[in-house]
Amino acid sequence: METKAQNYASELKERRWLSNKSFEITLTKPKDFRYIPGQWIRLIHHTVERDYSLVSTPTDPKLALCIRNIEDGILSPGLSNAPVGSCFNFNGPHGYFTFRPSTRPAVFAATGTGLAPFVSMARSGVTGFILLHGVRSAKDLYYTSVIKSAAKQYVPCLSGTDSLSGEYFRGRVTDYLRKNLAPGLYDFYLCGRREMIRDVTFLVDEKFPGSLIFTETFY
Amino acid sequence: MKIYTGTGDRGKTSLFSGQRVSKANARIEAYGDMDELNSIIGALSANLGPPHSDPVEELQQIQTDLFAIGALLATTPDSPAMDTIAGIGDEHIEFLEKSIDRMEQALPELKGFILPGGDPTAAWAHVARTVCRRTERRIVRFLDASFKMQAPDSYQRSLIYINRLSDYLFVAARYCNHLFDTPEKLWQK
Repeated sequence: METKAQNYASELKERRWLSNKSFEITLTKPKDFRYIPGQWIRLIHHTVERDYSLVSTPTDPKLALCIRNIEDGILSPGLSNAPVGSCFNFNGPHGYFTFRPSTRPAVFAATGTGLAPFVSMARSGVTGFILLHGVRSAKDLYYTSVIKSAAKQYVPCLSGTDSLSGEYFRGRVTDYLRKNLAPGLYDFYLCGRREMIRDVTFLVDEKFPGSLIFTETFY
Repeated sequence: MKIYTGTGDRGKTSLFSGQRVSKANARIEAYGDMDELNSIIGALSANLGPPHSDPVEELQQIQTDLFAIGALLATTPDSPAMDTIAGIGDEHIEFLEKSIDRMEQALPELKGFILPGGDPTAAWAHVARTVCRRTERRIVRFLDASFKMQAPDSYQRSLIYINRLSDYLFVAARYCNHLFDTPEKLWQK
């Protein structure tokens, strides 16, 4: 399906906090707006613009975005306390970070809110993937039940110093892949910090040559 | 959108279809030259100010088409990513041919080899033409090495477009000299 970016108006319907730094907002969905899981929109408020991946599914009646509240950010603090009913413009859908089924196992790797496109994919019926979510602390994990119900394997990778139970991996996403992913051909989908994307890409070149890599750089 | 990720720091790059390849790969050479061609057309366009800015819109359409060909070259034909690429259709080639015919109507008959140059806009068009020919050679080299005689239609149509674009740029160079009242210099043996 081809989707063409256009300008739309939307209204804030709901906000719920996912952790102490990240929240999800729900917006009204314009009637003719179509998108593919993994795509993003450019949210516009007055003169400020920021890009956010959709966590909702194309069949949902509303649009949902996962946003990290950055204290000195130019849009996220406003979104974190904008009253329900606030109006926003957006442009979209954008991007090519969409799931492409293949015979190779899919490995999804995210840092922070880079999880968003994978949530949309999982909610839309993509299953059987390995998902690594890199965050500092277990308190920063969200959408775990959605991911667990769709993933073949879900590995929260915690880089902080929390005391850990067995369900978490201590270390970065790259550390997990280096130590635990069996040699072979995979389709890697990477979304989040550029450092993670760079390090995993180099690791794939070295340890999983011939695999495919699709990326979306968030920050 | 972040400009740099560093994933190309070790001499490899990622295709749109996900493969990691050397930056010296024939495919990368081909769309690298395409990028150079697109930039030179941008330089030509930037030099076409009023009252002779009419060709700018046409040149921008060509730049858009070159992006489509670049995306095609960055994608392996068996990839699902191919479905998201518009590619080049017969209408794009006809667009060039009609433009060539329209410009030629305004030009004097060609009576020999022309020295590339004249007005700066014409000089840019000639540079674009030669880079267009090099791009074509690179694409042919890549297709020959990758598909022998059975390159997919989408690639074949792109090749026709690039061949026609070289002709377009030759006529555009003459047309620029015409627009700016600059005489053409013929090659004297």
